[in-house]
Order: sequence, then structure tokens, then C-alpha cells
Amino acid sequence: MGRMLENVSKTILKEHGVPVPGHAVISVSEEINAHHLLNPCVLKALVPVGKRGKAGAIKFADNVEDARSKADEILGMTVRNFPVDKVLIEEKIDIDEEWYVSITIDPQKQVPVVIATTEGGVEVEDLVKDSPEKVVIYHVEPFAELQPYQSKEIWSRLGVTGKPLVKATAILCKLYNIFLRYDCYILEINPLVLTRDEKVMAAASVMGVDDSALYRHPELEGKVESGSERSWRPLTQLEKDMVKVNDADYRGTARYTEMDGGEIGFMCGGGGGSLLSFDALISLGASPANYTETGGNPPVEKVTGLTKGILSKEGVKGLFVAHNITNNTQIDVFARGIVKAIEELGVDPAAFPIVVREAGVNDEEGKRIFLEAGITYFGEDLTIEEAAAEMVKKMKGAS
Amino acid sequence: MSILINQKTRLAVQGITGREASMIVSHTLAYGTQIFAGITPGKGGQHVQGVPVYDTVAEAVKKHDINATLIVVPPAFALDAVLEAISNGIKLIVVTTENIPQHDAVKLLYAARKQNVTIIGPNTVGMINPKDRIKMGSIGGDRPERCFVPGNVGVISRSGGMTAETSWMVKRAGYGVTTSIGIGGDSLIGTTIKDLLVLFEKDDETEAVVTFSEPGTSFEEDVAQLLKEGGFTKPLISFVAGKFTESMPEGTVFGHAGAMISGNTGRPSLKMKALKDSGAHVVEKYDDIISVLQAVLGAKVGEVK
Repeated sequence: MGRMLENVSKTILKEHGVPVPGHAVISVSEEINAHHLLNPCVLKALVPVGKRGKAGAIKFADNVEDARSKADEILGMTVRNFPVDKVLIEEKIDIDEEWYVSITIDPQKQVPVVIATTEGGVEVEDLVKDSPEKVVIYHVEPFAELQPYQSKEIWSRLGVTGKPLVKATAILCKLYNIFLRYDCYILEINPLVLTRDEKVMAAASVMGVDDSALYRHPELEGKVESGSERSWRPLTQLEKDMVKVNDADYRGTARYTEMDGGEIGFMCGGGGGSLLSFDALISLGASPANYTETGGNPPVEKVTGLTKGILSKEGVKGLFVAHNITNNTQIDVFARGIVKAIEELGVDPAAFPIVVREAGVNDEEGKRIFLEAGITYFGEDLTIEEAAAEMVKKMKGAS
Repeated sequence: MSILINQKTRLAVQGITGREASMIVSHTLAYGTQIFAGITPGKGGQHVQGVPVYDTVAEAVKKHDINATLIVVPPAFALDAVLEAISNGIKLIVVTTENIPQHDAVKLLYAARKQNVTIIGPNTVGMINPKDRIKMGSIGGDRPERCFVPGNVGVISRSGGMTAETSWMVKRAGYGVTTSIGIGGDSLIGTTIKDLLVLFEKDDETEAVVTFSEPGTSFEEDVAQLLKEGGFTKPLISFVAGKFTESMPEGTVFGHAGAMISGNTGRPSLKMKALKDSGAHVVEKYDDIISVLQAVLGAKVGEVK
């Protein structure tokens, strides 16, 4: 899942005929000039997270000096862990009403869903709960586009009539086409604004693109941060390095997430097996330094690169390696990768606690490699939780 | 008995000439599961490990009465492969493919629902019935017996790897499985835990079911509802992994794509509570599956069936 920055999504909206406010992006306040302030303006932190208003990262100004000082304030901020290095400057629009519309995929019904209300400016989740009559939830047949009459019915049920109805109908059809065209998992316009001169305009937009579909959108190259929805903060340097290790070879997948502090390097496999292993360490009072999950069949170099990265984090005093019993991950390859890493780093398994629980494809050979390197190895003789307990015991013995 | 697959299953593999499929096919044949046909456009007339290859599903169905298909094609071709299987009347489709675009997943799942077709997956390790030695998918790898032995327990898991590990725990407890199914790790999948419990309820040989759950979705809440309505009356032993994710900042995904907590939806603690309140045996520790299973099934010894 990858989100776009607002200037990028607004440019796409504009290209497809959805009216948006005039906007520009600045990185230093001196870039703001009289041209930006022909009308009063809005300044927004350009970060890939929502609720910027609540964070104080949206401000208004009506002259250049004021705009520059407010831009400076925003540029010094960190919004929900994202440092602000760019500001979106937009013309302030003359708002009569604030509406809301989003298009997403309903996880229960498994079809696209349009959610619309003319009661904008509030949390739509709360509105659905408290005043469901003010919200239209409209499911769309997956193989079709949203037909104009359907779009019209949505707004009409919300009481929109006259010229605004005609405009809103056309805009929602365009938004739906953008949703389909770019493989969005979310396209949210909040607010969709009715101006005093009866124009309908997308004042703020959130657009997220399915990264599994990026292969068919080469035009979005560089505009979407792939995987950006999986993290609550920008990637750390080590995390970026590990992305490179993963991307260097298409075989096998690996993800590395750094924890604050922690002592145990965590090198586990399987989507579910890694969750179980991490829970097991936590419940024993241990503190993993990272979360690393591998899948498929990573080659030796990838396993080595990951292991080295895990061990390079400051404060790591041990290594826990575990998998569920594998259906296709080759344990011998995994073993070679890990042993290579500790040998290259000069880690001595006699002094540095390492516990391995690996069983599955080619595990006889894997066991031999681990044992020959002096690493404590368990296969089918222990469960994952029992192996985690061995790890914790070993850490205590070492300290 | 088992659910979904048995001796009447007449299996085809779509994408049989690919690299991924070649390993699955060799393991499947070695296990004793018959593969009647393979389908790869442009490769009709060839053979893969003795299995005849056809250009179209239509030909394979006509010649071999295919009634189940395993889809092992790259993400860009998965939607079309599923639509082709559905339009040729196949009612059981296992989709192994990972990273299918969501919009394609929505379409293929919708088409399946309209025609009452069962889809397992996408992004699944598949399923196995060890008594009949039938497996669909990479499940079990080169040695299915390591984890999957015949018995009276059903296993359902979100995670492919944990389908194996959980079935191995059942074996360690002294039992075996009727059918073990990996439902797939994506947020949009064709068959949920609840759907499978309904099938296990009807299966005479299944005496208990063990489930392995992860954060995300409302699958467990749906199961709780089923239990309350009396739709599943056998012992259900449930484990929910990923409790640590609740203390991480919201919006973070650990594990599978579907493992996303949003507000209160998808929280392991709430899933566990819902399951517990509806009468399931919820184990805090994964290893407790063994003792709870022994207690539950031990109590049934001597019971007249």
C-alpha cells in the first residue's frame, strides 16, 4: 500500500477534470511571493499522514509576510513522526458547505464502496454511528463503472439539488474512474467543497495506490512510496539499508522493522510464525530489538545481509532464529546465510547467545551446518514457544 | 471424511509450466495426489512430469472431468485464470498467487460468489486431506507426513506456515487431521474461518477444530456469532497471534497484508474475548493447544457417535 503526497494526488485529480484549488509546493519560506498571495492562502504540511489540522500543521495567511512566518512554523514541525520538509501552499476557497466523499473497498462485502455526506468537517466514522441517515453508503458492482444516475442518486439522497447536484454528479463519476484507473485502495476527498458561487471543488485529497498493482502504472513511478502504509514513521537508515538487501534479489521476501531499544536480534520466518515468535519473547519478558520476517526462499546472500543488519543494531546482545515448520523454505540455505554472517562479523556463538529453531525442507543438512558452527539448534524436538524460552534462558546466562 | 477435497477430486493445475508450479507438481505427485491436467496457453500438447498440458480449461474439463483447479500463475494473470475456471463450471478453486492487485481480487471473488464457486485464497499454501493423500497447493512441501497425519481434527490457519506447524501440534498431541486449510494472508479472501467451520460441522469424522488467527479482519467475530447461533457445535480451540501489535502505533502492519488493525477492528485481544464469550477454547499460549486438545478429545473417548 502506498500513499501519495497531496500535491501529487491533486495534480492527478486536475488532469482528470476534478476542480482543485491552485497550489504550489515550497521547501523554504522565501519562495513564497506576491504571486502566491493574490488571494488569501492555506499552508499545509506536505506529509503522507492525515489529521494534519489537529496537529496544527494547516494554517491560513493573507499576506506574504504572514505566509512566510507560518510556513517557517510548519517547516519546523514533525507531524505524527514525519518531519516536514515541504509545505503545500494553496489558494483559500470561499466555502459555503463542506461535504465528504470517499471510495474504498469494503472488506466485508468485498466490493468498492462510496461513502458520501454533506455534513463535512467531522469524523465520518462518528457520523455513520451517530447519524446514519446523514450518510450514504453505496456499493458498486466491481466489473462496472459508477453510472451517472447512480452518482446522482447518492447526492440526491443527501438533499443536493440544482446546479450543485449536476456538478457533484459529474465529479463523483470522475473520482470513481480515477479510483479504478489508478488501482486505488482509497480515494478520499475531505472536504469536497461547495463554494459560494456554486462550484464543487476537491479542497483536500487522500489517494492511496495498491502497490501490488504498481506494475501496471509506470506513470506513477516515484510518486508513490511503496509500502509506506506499513510504517508509522519514516524508515530509519538501517531499515532503508535492509530494503536494499531485500530488493537486490527477487527470491524470498524480507521485512525489517526496528524497535525502540531491545536486546534480542529477531530473525524469524513465516507471516504467522514470526508473530507467534515475537509474542513468545515478549510474554517471557524479553525485549526484541527488531521485527524481521522472511518468506519464500531467500538466497544465502540475502539471509547473510539481513542477519548482519540485525546484528549491527546497537544494544543487540543475542540472536533468535525461528520458523514454523516450513512448507518450502530451505533450511540449509537459511543456515548457510546465518553462519556466513556470524563468521564474517567474528561473532562467537560460545559467547554470544544464539538459539535456532528451524525445521522443514532440507533440515538435516541445515542442522549439520548450524551445529558445526557451534550454534544451539533445535528442530522438531521443541515448539516455537519452548525455543523462545531457551533463548531467554541463554540471555540470562550471558548477562 | 474430509472437507472440500477427497477421492472424487479431479484436479487440474493452471500455470503448470511455470517455475513455481514445477516444484508443487512434483511434490503433489510424489504424495500420491493425481493431477489430471495442466493448463498453460500456448503449451497445449506438452507434458509436465507426465501430466498432459492444454491451452484452455475448456479442453481439460472436456477430456478429464476436472472439478477442482489449483491456480499457480503470476499476479497479472490470476484474475483471468479464475474467470476461465469459473466459466467452465469448476466449483473449487485454490489461488496460490501472492500480490494480486486488490481490484482484481475484488472482481474474481465477486464472480465466484455469483456462481457459488468456492475460492481458497488468494495467497494461500492450500489444503490437504492426509487420509486420501490429496493435497492442493504447496502445503506439506516435500514431506507432508511430517506435519499432516490422518485423524479427527480440522485445522484452519491464516498463515501457510502455521497451517503446517498447527497440524504438527495436533500430531504432537497424539492426533491427526481430517483436513488442514490455509485460508490465505490477504485482506480479501474467498473462504473465511467461519465458512470452513460450517463445513467441518457437517463432517462426521471431524471431532474438533483448531484455528490459528492473526490481527486484522473480523473473521473471529464472525466465528463467535456462528457459535452463538449454534452453527458450530464441536469443540473449537483458537489461538490468536500478534498480541504485541496492539501496543504498536496504529497503521503498522506486521506479518500478512491482511493483518491491519484499524480502530477496534482486528485487535487480537477483542478477537480472543469474542471467541471466549461464545464458548470457544481460547488458548493464551500456543503450546497449550496440545493439552487443551487432549482434554477435549480425551473427554470424548467412549462417547457414542
